[in-house]
Amino acid sequence: MMQEARRRATIGFLTAPAYVWLTVTVLLPLSAMLFFSFLTVAPINGRVAQLTTEHYLTFLDKDFYRTLTWRSLRLGIDVTLVCVLVGYPAAMALAKYVHGRWREAIFLLIILPFWSNGLVRVYSWTMVLREGGFLDWVLHEIVPGAPAVSVLFTYPAIVIGLVHSYLPYVVLTCYVSLEAIDDSLTEAARSLGASALQAFLRVILPLSLPGLLVGVILTFVPVIGSFMEPRILGGRSGIMLGTVIEDQFTTVFNWPRGAALSFIMLGIVLLIFAASAPLLRGRLKGF
Amino acid sequence: MISRRALLGTAAAAATLAVMPRARAAGDLHVLNWQGYGTDEAWALEAFKKKTGFNVVHDYFNSEQEMLTKLRTSPGAYDVVLINSTYTQQASSEGLIQPIDSAKITNFSTLLPAMRDSVYLNTDGKIYGVAWVWGMTGIAYNEETVKPAPTSVEVLWDPKLAGRVCLRDDAIEVVSFAAIATGQDMNHPKDLDKIKAKLLALKPQVKTFWASEDEWNKFFAAKQFDVSTYWSGSAARSKTNSKLPVGFMIPKEGGIGWFDGLSIAKGAPNADGAAAFIDYMVSPEFYYEWATKIGAPASANLKANATLPDGDVGKAIHGDAESVKRLTYMAPLSDEERQAYGDLWSEVKTELAQ
Amino acid sequence: MRKLVIWVVRGYLGLLLLFLYLPIVVMVLLAFNQSPLYKLPIVWDTVWFQSLAHNDRLINAGLNSVGLAFANMVVATVLGTMAAMAFSRYQFRGKLLLELLLFPPITIPWLIIGISMLIFFFWIGIGRGLHAMLLGHVALSLPYVIMVVGARLAGRGVVLEEAAATLGASPWQAFWRVSLPVMAPAVMAAALFAFAISFDQFVISYFLAPPGVSTLPVEIYAAIRKGFTPEINAISTIIIAISMGLMLLFARLYRFGGER
Repeated sequence: MMQEARRRATIGFLTAPAYVWLTVTVLLPLSAMLFFSFLTVAPINGRVAQLTTEHYLTFLDKDFYRTLTWRSLRLGIDVTLVCVLVGYPAAMALAKYVHGRWREAIFLLIILPFWSNGLVRVYSWTMVLREGGFLDWVLHEIVPGAPAVSVLFTYPAIVIGLVHSYLPYVVLTCYVSLEAIDDSLTEAARSLGASALQAFLRVILPLSLPGLLVGVILTFVPVIGSFMEPRILGGRSGIMLGTVIEDQFTTVFNWPRGAALSFIMLGIVLLIFAASAPLLRGRLKGF
Repeated sequence: MISRRALLGTAAAAATLAVMPRARAAGDLHVLNWQGYGTDEAWALEAFKKKTGFNVVHDYFNSEQEMLTKLRTSPGAYDVVLINSTYTQQASSEGLIQPIDSAKITNFSTLLPAMRDSVYLNTDGKIYGVAWVWGMTGIAYNEETVKPAPTSVEVLWDPKLAGRVCLRDDAIEVVSFAAIATGQDMNHPKDLDKIKAKLLALKPQVKTFWASEDEWNKFFAAKQFDVSTYWSGSAARSKTNSKLPVGFMIPKEGGIGWFDGLSIAKGAPNADGAAAFIDYMVSPEFYYEWATKIGAPASANLKANATLPDGDVGKAIHGDAESVKRLTYMAPLSDEERQAYGDLWSEVKTELAQ
Repeated sequence: MRKLVIWVVRGYLGLLLLFLYLPIVVMVLLAFNQSPLYKLPIVWDTVWFQSLAHNDRLINAGLNSVGLAFANMVVATVLGTMAAMAFSRYQFRGKLLLELLLFPPITIPWLIIGISMLIFFFWIGIGRGLHAMLLGHVALSLPYVIMVVGARLAGRGVVLEEAAATLGASPWQAFWRVSLPVMAPAVMAAALFAFAISFDQFVISYFLAPPGVSTLPVEIYAAIRKGFTPEINAISTIIIAISMGLMLLFARLYRFGGER
């Protein structure tokens, strides 16, 4: 009994601050928003609102919302895929093949870009990608007479910008997991006759999966809600569900619609995680 | 290893530091406006402080809806607020701004009557906004590449300029231009399907969208487009300050006119200072400096406009009586209209992106 | 063979860093470019650094940002690490709720969280200000801290903690001597995340900043309307330079690359 009470006290002590904090800053404000999403108008400054589900029905009613949802999901998938394909090997290289000072230096170098403002970084990309920009210039230095390169205002430009923003997350979360794997495990597998590939698939990959999955979540989830990068880099290809949600708050005074669209987005994300639950179960153990 | 006590100590110190509220000084005057839109010029604030002793502090918004949200959720935080005339009625009906005593605005008599007495700014004989500046939304083009100079709104649909057109990413503005192009009432078009079809026909034309004057200038300087919708005051600035080869015209089919007013927030802690500030803002001495040093939209004060030297680009653009005659002024829209235009534009943009 | 692998690894990491630093280098180069419209080719000039020195607004905003990011880092890392430990060590009721609570700050666009915080804080009297921004920033950082630390703790260290307990260590001793060293790299990474999230956060700050108080991202975001001058590049360059210096210092003091 004593022990049970003590266990509870420990759990309470450890989690209560985070619970309280998230309740005040996230749960309660968003509950208000969820409530708003079922109202005809935002009930502020004496506006009279009625209950309705019209904003959710609008989503089903208008074809372009479906197109936009798919565009946002595809963007999330593409960016996450590129980040994983590029970032995981980098984390692996860092954790297993680079040592000492070099490792620290590269580790720090990978996080350092975070210290610059995201908006400034995106603007810098426009200078790189546009016609007559840095990329164009370098290419013409190497291959004179090559056709002009203009990646700016296209879908790939959005992907490049977002990969740049989220790649460090994937590298770091994978690195944190990979670094924790004891080399003797791989050695044991190898000495028992496993090929390098087998050792990777059977030992390293499963053990580093928590970090990889966290990296995937931290990339995929914010990317499908992104609106700043698509707007600036995407030009006419830049419309996403996130930008339309932003419009509901900044140009059209329709908070309920904007809130409903965001909760639909949250719902889709949760559905995706629920659907992949069998895959995740046990991988994110203790999580 | 960092010691536990040091860690907790820092946390506590950091938390206290961050939680300390900042007091508002007695001589402060809080202004809510777009950034870089006249009221926050450092030399002007210095001159105003010398004159009245009030220290002006700014807060900014990036859209009209944000301005309204900030007013709604921060009563008593602001004194002066800039409101586009199409939003003034909404702000006053929501009780966000208070009536202004015209006796406190010494420049009131020389304001353009059409704007000063507009129903947009006056409700039940009370003044809720003092007309400040006005401008036109028309079409700007690159004088070096687009020849001869275009005169029609159809230039946006010209196949020769495929992939060279830029539009402001603003539902109301694009719907207005499409209405003008299809010969409808700009403010309340009847046939939205026609407008949608006209906008969809822009698919091969559009290169990108712009959101701010700064972005416009950078895209233009980098030769990203040849023709674009633009604001008159901004065109004057791009030409004089940034030395860009910008031509500006109001299409023969019509253009968009707008004006901005300055209002006093409800519950303003410094209402007298607010009136004094508004009076200074509409004065000829402020406007002359602003227009000649920085470049400004046209003033709503007749006397202020008259102070500009001949050959001033802004004066040439705003003083063209023929262009001004072709303008239709933007009217307040209902939430439903705004929603309908917003949805239409989202749908068109989705199609353009595919 | 081994040598080839090493070279491939080096080349790969080199390319990765090239990609990560391309826009940063461009940003720095353009801070020294004379054209306010970022026109190329570059005409070298330090005019933007000089005008920055007189831009009190930008400098004050920068100081606010650093203070806020630091406070956020400390609070979020402590609270997040505590919660991550509870997650990885105990099964308890209400765990799912907290896990679900972690999703909204990363899924729901910040714009909506920002507006809902603004309305809610206004209702219950918290109001706007640096304190409100701190509340918001910590909420956004917590999921990152909990996930990163949690991933590291997943299934690790339990045995060691139990061993320590068997050998008579108190829970506190076990924590400071066993758990923390195991978590250290992840806690470090999480703290850096938390700092960066706050330092780069503009949407929430934008709504919760009262008149006269702002942070660097808020200033930059608003500057886009006014005119995005290379002063912004200049201040970003200075920040990168300072943080690079601090990082190097830090790396010398605490080796958190994982090796001892």
